[in-house]
Amino acid sequence: MEQKTHFLYPSTLFASRDRYIVNTILGSCVAVCLYDPVLKIGAINHFMLPLWNGQGLASTKYGNIATEKLIEKMTGYGCYKNKIIAKVFGGGEVIDTKISQFLIGERNIEIALKILKEHNIKIKAQSTGGQYGRKIIYNTYTGEVIQKIIKKQSIKQIDKSVGLR
Amino acid sequence: MQNLTDDQILQELEKRFRQSKKSVQKLKKLTNELTEVNKKLEESEAMKSHFISNITNEIVNPFAAILGLSKNILESEGEDWDKIISMVQLIHSEAFNLDFQLKNIFAAAKIEAGEWAPEITNVDINQLIKNVIESFRYEAEKKQINIKYSFDIYPGVQKSFYFPTDPEKLNIILTNLISNAIKFSYEKADIIVKAFLKNESLVLSVTDFGAGVSEENKKVIFNRFKKADTGINIINRGHGLGLSINKAIIDMLNGNIDLQSKPEEKTVFSITIPPGEVIDEIEGFASDGNEFMFNDNDDDKEVF
Repeated sequence: MEQKTHFLYPSTLFASRDRYIVNTILGSCVAVCLYDPVLKIGAINHFMLPLWNGQGLASTKYGNIATEKLIEKMTGYGCYKNKIIAKVFGGGEVIDTKISQFLIGERNIEIALKILKEHNIKIKAQSTGGQYGRKIIYNTYTGEVIQKIIKKQSIKQIDKSVGLR
Repeated sequence: MQNLTDDQILQELEKRFRQSKKSVQKLKKLTNELTEVNKKLEESEAMKSHFISNITNEIVNPFAAILGLSKNILESEGEDWDKIISMVQLIHSEAFNLDFQLKNIFAAAKIEAGEWAPEITNVDINQLIKNVIESFRYEAEKKQINIKYSFDIYPGVQKSFYFPTDPEKLNIILTNLISNAIKFSYEKADIIVKAFLKNESLVLSVTDFGAGVSEENKKVIFNRFKKADTGINIINRGHGLGLSINKAIIDMLNGNIDLQSKPEEKTVFSITIPPGEVIDEIEGFASDGNEFMFNDNDDDKEVF
């Protein structure tokens, strides 16, 4: 069967019944990959900030909204929550800072884990934190995720070109 | 364990009191923040339900007007052209507004669902701006507003200038800015639209000389469903979605929006958008992307 590919932009999410290879690049952003091994359906989000603060649009830029929406998508496809497994990536501290309020990566991870726990979704794999970015490739049909660490110096390069945050 | 002197005990106690005072202060600050966010959420919720009732005014009424007017035209036998033309003008105006409102609502829904990614192509900026201004011709004529347009990018207005960005989203941003400028202008005023380049980024600015935005409102106008004027007899229609959509789209394009306003004098909204990068769906990046390709012998490749 033909494999389609999709590049996942920051603050968007992706879900499909079809077989897709989804690429994305994470800095302090977090991506949650959900997968239902029974129906072989996968969904992934890519959020930039932990919480929607009531300003602007309640978009999937924010972890609390993006993760809830992602779970909704899966159940909308007919997946049972107790069958869904999750893999969580990203949340690196790629921008040097000593101020605790700015630990966006860490707070992004925390919100993702918290919401998954609330829904009793099992976390099968996790690669989070650290001082580097990640490129991940998610196969929505097999649920497999391939990850490559991106060193800091090259993060700066991408930062310029696509505005990775 | 050593015995402490009274002085030492006092010092220690003082230190602990100070610490607890500090943490109480921190807690207070957090509580305040929480109250603030709560208030915002409440407001937002109220606005949202207000939005439903708004829809009646914004969508059902224009449709009724369009239906009624077109029926009148159908029933007339072409005897009075002037009257028919004025009715067609009204239909156009209502339909134009409706189209604009619906586009905004759909844009907001797509952004909130996370299903709207930038699609970067080379865009003829001059043509795009001209098209948007042209689409407002009749709306501007109604208020006798003159839209002045200047394009300060080499090679000038005559030739095409291509800039890599998302045409659909740029169109929505500009449409919202010009629509607002017309809404808040007084009759027989000018609106100035400018396009120029600054450090390789595209800058578009829309200036009007209308009511303006007060300091207080500057903080909230980018919030959704927020309108500067929420009284029952508001003159200006709309859902208050435009600027929150603009903000979200501009974030998506890594740009920023700036507002300078002296109420009753001059209001300038300017947006700055860096050139977009065309992304190759298969490998992630089109240019300099070698870093992100996977080789079979990569050591740092992990499979989960």
